[in-house]
Amino acid sequence: MLTIIFGDSDNIEYGPSWFKYNYDPLWLKDPFVQEMILGVDKSRYIDGLVIDSPVLGPIPPERLSGGLKTLIMIYEKPELTFDATSCGENCAGYLLEIGKQKDVRVNLNYLMTFEKYSPFEVFIENEKRIISDPEDYLITAMKYI
Amino acid sequence: MKGKHHVIIETNRLKYEFDIKRNITVIQGDSATGKTTLVDLLEEYSSKGKNRGIIVESDVNCEVFSGQEDRWEYTLDGIKDSIVIIDEDYHFVFTKEFAEYLQGSSNYYVIITRKPLKNLPYSVNEIYGIRTSGKYHFPEQVYHEFYPLYDQDTYSTLDSKVMFLIEDKEAGYQFFCDVAGKDACISAEGNAKIYQNMISLSAENSLLVIADGAAFGAYINNIVKYRELKKHIALYFPESFEWMILKSNVLDDHEINEILKHPENYIDSSEYISWERFFTSLLIDKTQNDKIKGYSKTKLTEFYTSGKNASAILNVMPEYIRRLIDK
Repeated sequence: MLTIIFGDSDNIEYGPSWFKYNYDPLWLKDPFVQEMILGVDKSRYIDGLVIDSPVLGPIPPERLSGGLKTLIMIYEKPELTFDATSCGENCAGYLLEIGKQKDVRVNLNYLMTFEKYSPFEVFIENEKRIISDPEDYLITAMKYI
Repeated sequence: MKGKHHVIIETNRLKYEFDIKRNITVIQGDSATGKTTLVDLLEEYSSKGKNRGIIVESDVNCEVFSGQEDRWEYTLDGIKDSIVIIDEDYHFVFTKEFAEYLQGSSNYYVIITRKPLKNLPYSVNEIYGIRTSGKYHFPEQVYHEFYPLYDQDTYSTLDSKVMFLIEDKEAGYQFFCDVAGKDACISAEGNAKIYQNMISLSAENSLLVIADGAAFGAYINNIVKYRELKKHIALYFPESFEWMILKSNVLDDHEINEILKHPENYIDSSEYISWERFFTSLLIDKTQNDKIKGYSKTKLTEFYTSGKNASAILNVMPEYIRRLIDK
């Protein structure tokens, strides 16, 4: 399940830097990572360390967007807590999808919404409860952000 | 620094073009829109020299903050009269110390962050996303521009009893109590309580939220998201209540009208941390020697709340907001 802790918190990792210095080329072979590359950055994984970006042309993984790098880190390192504030609203569906596949914990410092992916379920650590109602989620998030 | 500054950053494959006109501009929006690439291009240009295939056109210096997190003040002290872009991984921008530092700074700051900057009074109108236009045909050049993220003029159908939630409890609140009736007005008594009030009031009423747009940037995202869910909430964010008075022409002052055409040409970032403060200062200065018109933020005189002057101030609002008051 996707666990969210809203607001300032300790031991939160910054995904783009983590990815830049620690990514494993094998991660790019994972079909779900390739799906996220296409869905968020509109780019296609070619082979090796080459990704085809519609704007930048052939790029290495270091030039993927900060939001996508953070998503990949959340997916590949579920034992760490990353700051998902680096992820824009267009990452929300993938965050939920990762949460369906693995138990992951993220920090959020802005009001990312999940309404268009309903039904959804997230565990809000600040309140120690599962939320699935969009209005309940918004009202709860606004208490902390 | 004053004025609007047009900036172009260009390579053979990428072009960014935007205007910066206030001391604080915030960039946010979806991932993969080109924020990091913008920072990378400008950082390469400003820190390593101009002969790198990157063209930057601007009438003022543009650079990326690249100092140490714990020595930000020292680094910024060395930058004057410039546009400074600060990327999302710096945390000092959220501190009270940075807010205090900005009060005397001659720079304009472009801050990339989705996290609300609650210590900074930034405008709802200066929060931008980046979008590209045209189709992508690499290696043809892709054009990027800023666009305002929060469109206030979204009409809301409010058919039940309308309550007015006013951000503060000063002159603006007094004005709306006078024109709409005291029973219909609630003061949030500051930004911090506005969500709590909005949630409780909107449970049983249609709601019009009125706040000073010039300093409400940190709160707009939550409010807009909540409004998307609860359709019976309308929003009105003028620059400030003082701006409404100035705009209404009740003072019949040619200089005020000239200033309001391009406030950025008159508002020095090192003197005013927000346009809201400038408009308050301008209104007080223009009326200070007049017993009838004399403006005070804490006590509004009858000159502003009665007859044709009140109507003129209301006429500054969009028609659909005025209709809510008529209700």
